[in-house]
Amino acid sequence: MRPFAYTKVETLAEAVDALVAAGPQARLLAGGTTLYDLMKLEIETPPAVVDVHRVADLAGFDTSGDRELVFGAGARMADVAEDGRLRRDYPALSESLWRAASQQLRNMATLGGNLLQRTRCPYFRGGEPFACNKRRPGSGCAAREGLDRSHALFGGSEACIAVYPGDWATALVAFDAEVDVLGPGGARSLPLVRLHREPGDTPQHEHTLEPGEIILRVRVPATPAGRGSAYLKIRDRESYAFAVVSAAVALTLDGDGRVDECRIAVGGVATRPWRVPAAEQALRGNEITEASARAAGEAAFADARPGRDNAFKIELGTRTVADAVRLAGSRAVA
Amino acid sequence: MSREPVDTRRVDAREKVTGAALYATDLHPDQVAHAVLATATVGRGRITELDVSAAAAVPGVLLVLTHLDRLDLQSPGFIMGGGYGVQSMQPLLDDRIAYRGQAIAMVVAETLTAATEAANLVHAAYEQEPFAVTLDSPGVERLSQPAAIPLPFLADLDVGDAESAYAAAALRVDATYDQPAQHQNPMELIGATVFWRGDTLVVHEGTQNAGAIRNGLARQLGIDAANVEVISPYTGGGFGQKNSLQIHIAPLALAARRLGRPVKLVVSRTQLFHHTSFRPASRHRIRLGADEHGRMLAAIHEVEHQTSRHDLFPLMYTEITSRMYGVRDFRGRQTFARMDTQSPGFMRAPFEQPAAFAFESAVDELAYAAHRDPLEFRLANDTTVDPISGEPFSSRHLAQCLRRGAKRFGWSARQQRPASMRADDGSLVGWGVAVGAYPGSIVPSAAHLVAGADGRIRVEVDGHEMGQGIRSTIAILVAENLGVGVHRIDIVIGDTRVAAQHLTAGSWGTASTLGAVQAALRALREQLGADATGPVDLAAAVRATGRDHVEVRAETLGPGQTEQDIERARRGHPALSGPEFPGYSTFSWIAHFVEVRVEPSTCRIRVPRVVSVADCGRVASPVTAASQVRGGIVWGIGASLREAGEVDPRYGGFLNASLEEYPVPVNADIGTLDVDFIGEPDLRFSPVGVKGLGEVSMVGVAAAVANAVFHATGVRHRRLPIRIEDVLAGASPPA
Repeated sequence: MRPFAYTKVETLAEAVDALVAAGPQARLLAGGTTLYDLMKLEIETPPAVVDVHRVADLAGFDTSGDRELVFGAGARMADVAEDGRLRRDYPALSESLWRAASQQLRNMATLGGNLLQRTRCPYFRGGEPFACNKRRPGSGCAAREGLDRSHALFGGSEACIAVYPGDWATALVAFDAEVDVLGPGGARSLPLVRLHREPGDTPQHEHTLEPGEIILRVRVPATPAGRGSAYLKIRDRESYAFAVVSAAVALTLDGDGRVDECRIAVGGVATRPWRVPAAEQALRGNEITEASARAAGEAAFADARPGRDNAFKIELGTRTVADAVRLAGSRAVA
Repeated sequence: MSREPVDTRRVDAREKVTGAALYATDLHPDQVAHAVLATATVGRGRITELDVSAAAAVPGVLLVLTHLDRLDLQSPGFIMGGGYGVQSMQPLLDDRIAYRGQAIAMVVAETLTAATEAANLVHAAYEQEPFAVTLDSPGVERLSQPAAIPLPFLADLDVGDAESAYAAAALRVDATYDQPAQHQNPMELIGATVFWRGDTLVVHEGTQNAGAIRNGLARQLGIDAANVEVISPYTGGGFGQKNSLQIHIAPLALAARRLGRPVKLVVSRTQLFHHTSFRPASRHRIRLGADEHGRMLAAIHEVEHQTSRHDLFPLMYTEITSRMYGVRDFRGRQTFARMDTQSPGFMRAPFEQPAAFAFESAVDELAYAAHRDPLEFRLANDTTVDPISGEPFSSRHLAQCLRRGAKRFGWSARQQRPASMRADDGSLVGWGVAVGAYPGSIVPSAAHLVAGADGRIRVEVDGHEMGQGIRSTIAILVAENLGVGVHRIDIVIGDTRVAAQHLTAGSWGTASTLGAVQAALRALREQLGADATGPVDLAAAVRATGRDHVEVRAETLGPGQTEQDIERARRGHPALSGPEFPGYSTFSWIAHFVEVRVEPSTCRIRVPRVVSVADCGRVASPVTAASQVRGGIVWGIGASLREAGEVDPRYGGFLNASLEEYPVPVNADIGTLDVDFIGEPDLRFSPVGVKGLGEVSMVGVAAAVANAVFHATGVRHRRLPIRIEDVLAGASPPA
C-alpha cells in the first residue's frame, strides 16, 4: 500500500469539496471492502482518500413508497438485504444482496460502493507481470488469449473482456433503476444502465461519473413485477463466490396467465450490468412453460461471443435464465 | 486414591478460541522490525538489473537484502534429498530465476506498511528463458524414478506378471486420471519471528519440523546446531506445507544479525502460492483386469507427477494402490516430470489422495463392467495379506469399515443403474463408495517427564501441535495412566530445547509420541515405586522420595530401528520405519460413502451427506480424532469439486494465487458428516495400539464423490476438480 492523504467528511458538501480539492485520482471510501483490497494489491494507488462513511445524508433507505424505492448510497448491504418489505415485494433485489460476498463483508459494504465494484479478472488483480489494459492502458489483455473461464460473453472488446462482477447492479438494471449523483456542477440523475461503460478502447474508464461526483442514492420505480421476481446465482461454491452466471427476472402475469410486464438481466457474463430485451420480448405474451422459459434463456444468450473456456456459460446461462423465469413465475401467481 | 474422570476435550481449546495461544508471528518482541519479500515476475531467466534505490528510500526502511549483497548462506539441501529445506534452491544467492514468484529481495523496515510499500518498489529487469509449467508443456524433462533415484523404497513395484495377467483378463479397465496442482493454504500463514540472543539464534515459526529448521539453519549459516533454538508450541495448520526449513528463515536470521534486533516476516497469502510447497499435478493411467466373475487379477498403475528443475520430489503413489485389494499381479511405474516451479512437496495424503482417486475410480469402473455392486465388489476382493510383501497386515479392518459404513449410510437401498435415483426436487441422486489406505510409520521419539511434589507433571516430548490434537492425546494418555486431571499436566512440544523434534507428518506423530510418553510413564512408576497400573497419588509419591521432583527419560524406536535412527533424528533428518516391518505390514484404512445430488438444470453438485468409518487402531482422543476425519472429508470434497492451482503457460507460476480465486469449500458446501471408528487397538504396530489417522481420513473421498457423480449421471469424470461445465457437458439436452 502506498501512502495517501486521508480526509474524513461529515456532509455531502464537504464530500464534494474534498473530492474536487483532492483531484481526479482521489477515491471515495465507504465500506472499504473493495478499495482497501485493491490498495493493498497496489492496483489502486490513490493519492487521496475521502471517507464518506459518516455522511448522514447517504445513509438509510426507504422501501415503503408507492412510486419508488429509495436506497441511500451509504446503506449497508446486509441491512437492505434483510428488509422485510424488500424480501416480500422485491425478492430479486434482496436475493442479489444476500448472495453477494459474505455476511461480514455485507455488514460493511455499501450499496453505492458495490455499484462500482471493480472486476475480478485475475490478470487485472494479479498485477505484474500480466498484461491488462484496464490496469495499465496499452499493455494488452492477457485474458483474450489466456484462461478466460470467468470472462465476458457480452460487451467485450479487443482491449478487455473483464466481467462486471456485481449482483446488485445486475438486479437493479432489470428494474430500470435511476442513480442520483451530486458533483461540483450540482445534482443530476441518470439511468443505472448508463452508469457503467463498456470497455471499448478505454477499459480503464469503467463508469460515467464526472470528477468530483458522488453517488447519492439509487431509486427503483415501484412495480408489481417486484413480487414476481427472482435472482438466481450459479457459483463455483454454495456461498461467498462471484457468479459464474446469474439471472435477474421480474414479471407479472395477466388474467390468462400470460407474461405481461417482463424484465430480465444477466450477470457474470458481461462487461457491465446486462439487460436482455430479446429475452423479455421472447417471453412476453406467453404462458410460462418449460419451452417458453427455455426460449427466453436462448434469446438472452443468442448474441453471446464466447472465448476458449467460457462457452459453457451459454448453455448454463440459458438454463439459469429459464430456472429464474419459472421461479419468478411461481412467485407472481403466489 | 480415587481416579479423576478423564476430560477428553481438546486441552488447548480455550487458549485457541480466546486468542491466548500465541503463534509464531503473534509475538511482538521489543524493537521488532518487519520483513517483506519482493518476487520475480518472469517464468525463468536471469536478473540483469536490480534497482533497490527507490525501496531503500522509503521512510522507515532499514535493510534491503538481495543477491548483490553476497549473502553468506549455504543451500539447506532438499528435505527429500538428504537436506532440510522445502527446496534445495535458496533464493537471494545469485541472479538465477528458477520460477515466477521466486524471492528476489527481502526488505526490512520499521513497519509492515513501509516494508510492503518498499518491496513493491524493488525494480528488476530480466533476461528471460523458455520455461515449462504443465505436464503437457514442451520442455518438460521426464525421468524414470528408479533410474534417477536408485533407492530401494522408491523402486518400481513388480509382483508377478501384471502385463500378461492384464492381457489375459476377461474384464479390463484402462483409464487415465488427472490430478491438478493444489495448495495447502493453512489458516496460519507461513512466517517467523527471529532474533539473536548473543550467539544463539532463536526462531519462532509455526512448523511440523523444528528439528530440520534447527539443523538446516546451522548448515546454512555455518554455525553449531547447539546455537539454534526453534520454538513452535502451536502451528495453525501444517498439512505438509510446514514440514521443512522455509526459504525465508536464513535470510531473516542474517537481517536480524545485521540489525541487531528481532525481525518478523509473514508471507502473504498471494505469495504463499509460489513461496513454498504444493501438491504436484499428477497423471495416472490405471489398468485393471478381472475374471468374468469380477475377481481382480491384475493392476497396473503408471503415474507421472511434476517436480522442479532443482529437486526430485519422489513419487510414492503405488505404495497404497498395490495394497488395497488382493491382487496378485501388480506393476507400478513412477516418472518425474521436471519443470520450472518451486519444488512441490507433501500436501495432506500427498500421494494417497490422487492415487486413490484414480485407482478407486477405476475399481468402480471395473465393478460396473462386471455388473457388480461396487460395495460388494470391493468386499469380494478384500485381502488379509499384503500382496507386495506376502506378510500379514498387523491389522486390517477394512471390510468391517465397509460393512459398518454401508449400514449407517443405508447402502442397501441403492439402485445399481446410473441415473436411476431422484430426489423429490428432481435432483439426480448418486451414491458412491471408495476406500482409502495410508502407510503406518513410526519414528524415534524421546520423552522427559518431571513429576513434582505439588502433584503436577511436566511432559517434554518430540512432537508438534498443528491442530491435529497431539497435545490432547498426550494429556489423555498421561491422565488415564496416572489418574491425574489433565489440568495438572504441562506439555512442552515443538521445542528444540527439550527434544530433537523430528518431523511430525505422515500420520506417525501420535503413535510415535505416545509410545515414548508411555515408556516414560513406565519408568516414572518404577522410580516412584508405584504399581505398574492404577492411579498414582503423584504428590505423595514424589514427597515419599524425599525430593521436590522426580524426573525420567525414555527413548523409543520403531520396530527394527537402531541408535542410528536416533542419531538421524537428532540431526534433523527423517528417520522413519514402515509400512513394512519384520513379519507384518501396517496401514490405516477407511471407507467413505458419499451422496451427491446433481441439479437437473444447472448441474450443480451438492454433497448432502458423507459416512466415513476408519480403522486407525485405538482412538487416542475421540474429540480430535472425529475432528480429523471431518476435516479430511472436507478436504476431499474440496479436492474433488473445488480446488485447482490454475496455470497460464505463458506466464509460469500459478494464476489463481489467492483465496478469492482458489476456491476451497465453505460451510455451505458441507452437509452431514457421519464419522465412526472401528477402534480395535493395533498392538503389534504400536505399544499404545494407535495407527495414523490424519491423512487416511481424506484418502478415497474424491473417488467416492466421483463415483457418486457417475452413479447420479451415468458419466465418468476422470479429471479433478469436477466442475459445473464438466457435468453440463455430459447432461442430457433439455426436453
